[in-house]
Amino acid sequence: MLSYNFKYELKLLLRSKWIQLLSVVLLMLFGFATYNGLQTVEKRENDISAARMEVKESDAMMVKLLDSVEQGLTVSVPRWTIPSSPMAVGNYHPRVAAMDPEPMAFVATGQADLFTHYVKPKVSGDDFAMNFAEMTSPVQLLFGSFDLAFVVVYLLPLLIIAFSYNVLSAEKESGSLRLLAAQPLRLQTWVLQKLGLRFFWMFVLVMISTLVVFLLSGIHPFEQGVRFWSLFGLIMAYTLFWFALAFLVNLWVGSSAKNAVALLGLWIVFVLLAPSALNQLGNTLYPMPSRTLMINEMRQLKAEMTEKQDEILNNFLRDHPEYAINDTTQSRGFYHRYMASQKLVREELAPLVNSYEDQLKKQQNWINVFKWISPAIIAQESLNRMAGTSTQDYENFRNQVVAFAGDWRNHLIPLLFNNEKFTTKDVAGLPEFRFTPLQKGTSKESIILMVLGLMIFAFGFTYKTQTSTYRMLKSE
Amino acid sequence: MIANTFFKETKELFREGRVRIAFIIVVLLLSLAIGISARQYANVNAQYETAKSSERALWDNQGEKNPHSAAHYGTYAFKPKYPLSLVDQGVDKYTGTSIFLEAHKRNEAQFSAATDQTGLARFGDLTPDFILLFVIPLLIVLLGYNSFTKEREMGTLTLLKSQGGTNWRWVLGKWLALFFPIFAMTTILFLVAGVLLSGLKDFGVFSWKSLFAMYLVFLAYYIVFINLVLLISARVKKSGVSLVAALCIWIVACLGVPKAASNIAETKHPYPTRQEFAANVLADKKEGVDGHNPWSKEAKLLEEKVLKEHGVDSLHQLPFNFDAYRMQKGEEHEAEVYFKHYNYLKNQFSNQSKVYKSLAAISPYLPTRFLSMSIAHTDYATHWDFADAAEVYRIETQKFLNDNFAQNSEYGNWEYQAEASFWQSLPVFEYNPPELQEIMVKNTSNLFILGIWLFGSFGVLLLSTKTI
Repeated sequence: MLSYNFKYELKLLLRSKWIQLLSVVLLMLFGFATYNGLQTVEKRENDISAARMEVKESDAMMVKLLDSVEQGLTVSVPRWTIPSSPMAVGNYHPRVAAMDPEPMAFVATGQADLFTHYVKPKVSGDDFAMNFAEMTSPVQLLFGSFDLAFVVVYLLPLLIIAFSYNVLSAEKESGSLRLLAAQPLRLQTWVLQKLGLRFFWMFVLVMISTLVVFLLSGIHPFEQGVRFWSLFGLIMAYTLFWFALAFLVNLWVGSSAKNAVALLGLWIVFVLLAPSALNQLGNTLYPMPSRTLMINEMRQLKAEMTEKQDEILNNFLRDHPEYAINDTTQSRGFYHRYMASQKLVREELAPLVNSYEDQLKKQQNWINVFKWISPAIIAQESLNRMAGTSTQDYENFRNQVVAFAGDWRNHLIPLLFNNEKFTTKDVAGLPEFRFTPLQKGTSKESIILMVLGLMIFAFGFTYKTQTSTYRMLKSE
Repeated sequence: MIANTFFKETKELFREGRVRIAFIIVVLLLSLAIGISARQYANVNAQYETAKSSERALWDNQGEKNPHSAAHYGTYAFKPKYPLSLVDQGVDKYTGTSIFLEAHKRNEAQFSAATDQTGLARFGDLTPDFILLFVIPLLIVLLGYNSFTKEREMGTLTLLKSQGGTNWRWVLGKWLALFFPIFAMTTILFLVAGVLLSGLKDFGVFSWKSLFAMYLVFLAYYIVFINLVLLISARVKKSGVSLVAALCIWIVACLGVPKAASNIAETKHPYPTRQEFAANVLADKKEGVDGHNPWSKEAKLLEEKVLKEHGVDSLHQLPFNFDAYRMQKGEEHEAEVYFKHYNYLKNQFSNQSKVYKSLAAISPYLPTRFLSMSIAHTDYATHWDFADAAEVYRIETQKFLNDNFAQNSEYGNWEYQAEASFWQSLPVFEYNPPELQEIMVKNTSNLFILGIWLFGSFGVLLLSTKTI
């Protein structure tokens, strides 16, 4: 019976051009989305390498200037930008702190259009004023990006729904259900077989599409097997979940139209409503402190600090007696006062600035707990993590940049307070930024999602077996 | 015939469970969305008031200070929220709300809400515009997909035809039956929104006229959807196929095209990165007078020119402080540089807008979205307008401060301090968003596209239902 069903269904699907249509649509969607993703990644790479190039050039310039200064020549740049002053190096020759794209970055835009991928922390800048937001048209941010994640999370379920909403009801509507009921076969088994075949085709087509995607992106699908299987596994787990829902709806609801409405309702709930409701609840439970009020507080503090600059400098020097020992001139200028008070401002504002990261972390934790209410959230979050464009990835980048900004300052501040000159020999010793991406955990989400899908299947298969068959026939 | 069909269809719709449930759900969602947005609106407005007044207090109470130090200390321009943003949030989430106004630099608006949220925020928010733009069209699909196919499936089509009336009469009846519930719902929603908004404290900004314009835009959008759904239902044989086809249109118009458009627009007319932009500005700034650098070539040229103009041979003999004068000239040069670079950004955006407009040919969602955001003052153009107003204010402020510096001190005197009361004489920053009429003029192309959709879909529907 199984092999008959299989053959017959395949013929039907081929004759109704369903499989042909589905393969074309899937390939087109996957292809277009990958193309878009690859383009964004390419722009990101070019931007970063251009920035690195610029630093290289400016470093060459710096060495030239230092050379001239050390030989006692006059240079034709403004006095305060001459790199023999450590603060000039710190401000006019910053390093690039860049977040290089991960190999799978094309899969999901995630937060990549919202945040910048490189900054150049300066010695006199504020950590909290460092702007990590990218210059993107807000309209683009509003509409979002046509990436692979969009195709998988939003469109794939709709294809599945269109592919399977009337598996049983079409038989009923065409009158062949009675014939079928005469066969020695449980209705559930039969629906399961039909859906199984469709799932099988989806499996094959998604496999091919994913292979095409990997070939397009230049990642070898078998040498980089983990990447391939984690992406494919996730898509299949998500697909299985939607097939499981289609199975339940086919068994429990009635006519084709009602099935379609029910499945669409589920799609809206899982894909559109649940994520936004969860986000809004997260925002309400862990609200972000107001940024405008933060500005006020920051400005007040800065105004106070500016008035007490001399006092602050004295305190700072008392805390750092080593500077008094190393430097005999003890000459103190603008930067000494500024850097000392800036340090204090940073310390005073740290709790306020950290409260944003804390709240964000709390919101993320809240989502991690409740993401299970919708497989769409799980799929999106997993894809973002795979691509290295999730909230956590950017948080990781921000933290590393702030740490690097500290290194940068701490490297140059001793020179400032010892009133030492920055020399050509010091150029090679300047700190460099190295970005360490987050460790990718095992994809336990895919497995749990798959188990969930199977459980729904099992539930539909065993629950109320007689009534549904009975009802089906009775309503004929 | 029209009335009969209308009453029969309406009765049928209300008898059906799916319609009742769908309606209740949409109304519930809407009230939830309005509730959430109203709270948020009140919250943001309160913050805005506090921030604005305390920022001004900081500025006024600077005490005795050099005007140029005050210029560096700077001030903030805060972007107000407008009542209709309650209906359409637009791009507000993605634009910053405060601009730091300081000497030598034009800053961008900082701290957008989206950067302070998790990735989940990108799924969208449960706001009235989400319901208006996405859910109600979907409701139209659910209500109307079988309007004609059911006649075919139940075999009543022949009966209908035998009634002797012309086709367009009962088509119009069916159209009205689908339009009426949507019309009623939209009307009630906008009335409620109007009453809620006019009850707010800052009633002055809210205008019924704008709300009404928005209402008309959305009605036109729904009519387009009604026409499309009925068109499909009339041309297709089975209800199921009709539903799937209508849904495809919904997905393409509301989800697919906007996203694809944003990708195409970005690839064709990209923005520079923030760092690139800053580097370009810096390179251009170096070409002119730098207020803090009296040794540069441009500064020397300026010196010669001014000395010549006043017929004196030393800067000390000038009737004003040349340091401050140079500062102002530098400021003017920098303002020009910023003007050029921000114009480039605007240019890129207007090119991007053309991409959106050309793709609006396959998505009625796009012109509707842009129109409704514009009317609500939550679109990108209003943001630009605000940023430009802030920049004008910044330039004026710099002149105000530099003039005081130049007139009240002599060359070389950097110790000069303005009186403590001086700061209060700086005018307050006020921003007025464009009026409705101006918005409509700016959006003529969007209105035109929506109009084509409206009349085009009507025409095709009537033509194609001539033969059923």
